[in-house]
Amino acid sequence: MFKLITKTMAGIVAAVCLSIMAASLSTAAYAKTKLTMYYPVAVGGPLTKIVDGMVADFMKQNPDIEVNAIYAGNYNDARIKALAALNSGQPAQLSVMFSIDLYELIEQDAIVAFDDVVKTDEEKDWLKSFYPTLMQNGTTGGKTWGIPFQRSTIVMYYNKDAFKAAGLDPEKAPASWDELVAAGKKLTKSDGSQWGMMIPSTGYPYWMFGALSMQNDQVLMNSAGNQTNFAEPATIEALQFWKDLGSKHKVMPDGTIEWGTLRKNFLEGKTAIMWHSTGNLTTVKKKAAFDFGVAMLPANKRRGTPTGGGNFYIFKKTTPEERSASMKLIKFMTSPAQSANWSMQTGYMGISQAAYDTSELQEYVKGFPYAAVARDQLEFATAELSTYETGRVRKSLDDAIQAALTGSKTPEEALKEAQATADRLLKPYR
Amino acid sequence: MTRPAHTTRSYTEILEYIGAWVLALLWIAPLLYAFWAAFHPSEYSTNFDLLAPLTLDNFREALSQAPFLRYGINTFLLVTMLLAAQMVVGTLAAYAFARFQFFGSNVAFGLVLVQLMITPEILIVENYSTLAKLGFVDTITGIGLPYMASAFGIFLLRQAFKSTPKELEDAARLEGCGMFGILMRVYVPLARPTYLAFGLVSISHHWNNFLWPLVITNSVETRPLTVGLGIFGAPESGVDWSIVSAATLLSVAPLLIAFLLFQRQFVQSFMYAGIK
Repeated sequence: MFKLITKTMAGIVAAVCLSIMAASLSTAAYAKTKLTMYYPVAVGGPLTKIVDGMVADFMKQNPDIEVNAIYAGNYNDARIKALAALNSGQPAQLSVMFSIDLYELIEQDAIVAFDDVVKTDEEKDWLKSFYPTLMQNGTTGGKTWGIPFQRSTIVMYYNKDAFKAAGLDPEKAPASWDELVAAGKKLTKSDGSQWGMMIPSTGYPYWMFGALSMQNDQVLMNSAGNQTNFAEPATIEALQFWKDLGSKHKVMPDGTIEWGTLRKNFLEGKTAIMWHSTGNLTTVKKKAAFDFGVAMLPANKRRGTPTGGGNFYIFKKTTPEERSASMKLIKFMTSPAQSANWSMQTGYMGISQAAYDTSELQEYVKGFPYAAVARDQLEFATAELSTYETGRVRKSLDDAIQAALTGSKTPEEALKEAQATADRLLKPYR
Repeated sequence: MTRPAHTTRSYTEILEYIGAWVLALLWIAPLLYAFWAAFHPSEYSTNFDLLAPLTLDNFREALSQAPFLRYGINTFLLVTMLLAAQMVVGTLAAYAFARFQFFGSNVAFGLVLVQLMITPEILIVENYSTLAKLGFVDTITGIGLPYMASAFGIFLLRQAFKSTPKELEDAARLEGCGMFGILMRVYVPLARPTYLAFGLVSISHHWNNFLWPLVITNSVETRPLTVGLGIFGAPESGVDWSIVSAATLLSVAPLLIAFLLFQRQFVQSFMYAGIK
């Protein structure tokens, strides 16, 4: 009888022990940190697959973190989606968003500064491992809010065959505004079958204009994001030059030029030169039926281009565990090896010197030197137009540019109006 | 005297024909272009050459980038569910507004009309948090829910019910029909063309809706076709027209085929709705 009781007791104890163990096991599994990451798709190609692949690799290396990477449309859609989710308490810990969304995200109190998340010295050094120019759009008020991920600059693509046919040296791209105009005149055919050059003026006119004004040694805004320089003489001169390319020098079609079809025009030989995002590099390389070259944008007073693209942000409504897991993920995605791989597959640029030092990317650049043009140009680059009220400020500049190019206003009138609008919008932030 | 009148008529007829053809061509041009670009290699997407080689590569490429079949099923589920709900809600609400005077009926109808004047995009954040509270984020029901009480549908059906002769209702009542019987046997059958017209508008609108489904969904199991199509948008680099065209055709094909099959019914229903 006694024996039976001890046996039962032992059985019960064993069962309890087992169930406790099972319970603790399941809590261990449950303690997996779950991350939800949003990301936009802004260039062609199977980007969702590449991101999914990178995230899968990360989870293999970090079995304690589970990442749900969610495609969220273009940059605008991604911002709307992220803010909607945050406002309703849905889980979202980090996101890739437009680098110029910085001020809006800060104003909405949606993101946390990386300075408050990094702990070790190693992590602090990591913050400094990226190209400083790429950090400009991610820093304000002495703090770092965005880590560069899918970044680009504007470069000049040119048709070497057309250069040869026009008697120009195909290895020497125009390096100044004067050379550009001179080359453009030789390249433009009077029957209209081939233009000298095209700078797109729909979609992202402010971005292209950021390059022209920088080349005229004038940035478009201050780093506090509350002051624009649209009406400076150098800015007006830059817009005048843009307009003159079409109306005075006749090397570019008059009026506006469509962003979305420009690459097509270039690939079909309708223009010998185009200014476009480095994001096109892989596609142009695949599709061009002629010999093409890629060069830095030309200089007037200096060379210049804005950077572009998306940064990583960590949201504020996160637990310390989620933040450190997010840091791990971001560190992985921006590591030299991943960045090199991302750059080769998409045409975006490597974001650190270390990425270009990897043997894979070095090999790739050796075979295809144009992959390094964007990086070399970084030395001359500046931040993309980004201020408080960024959408409306940007629109006022876009409208001014298009009004000037179509001839409905002079560059001076148009830019002064844009500056007045921006002043009105930014006054509360000064 | 008859002769000039005759020529004037034939002149107007000719003008009408020309006008109709011009409009029809304008309307169908994008679709024709999509067909052209989708079935030819991308070199030919802006060059017209009758001898250009045909290819299905663009479709293969598009299909490899997104699970369009699954998206298609999601879209189909979404529009069917949504249309069914809109029909029920719209019919009942329209009947109430058309034939009953109750306390505050005018104010209530005014509020419904206000809904027509607000673009749903403004309400995205608000709708999202409501649905998050109800636990409907990332579900097909969640995509449809904010649109189920369609103000447009209510308004359209109310007008149709109002224009139905009252005598028919009286006759039905004499025959012993109740409130619900009158609705089902008199109003609904007579408003059939309106139902068809509204159904067409509703299906095509929700088939094409992009932003809201993108925001509210997170996974392949719930996303509709348009969100899959969004991957090819590529705002930063410019678009590959051939692949976009192929993907677009994949997305609109079911709708297009359905329209071609039921074309006669559609056209007739619009004629009825028009001459009433």
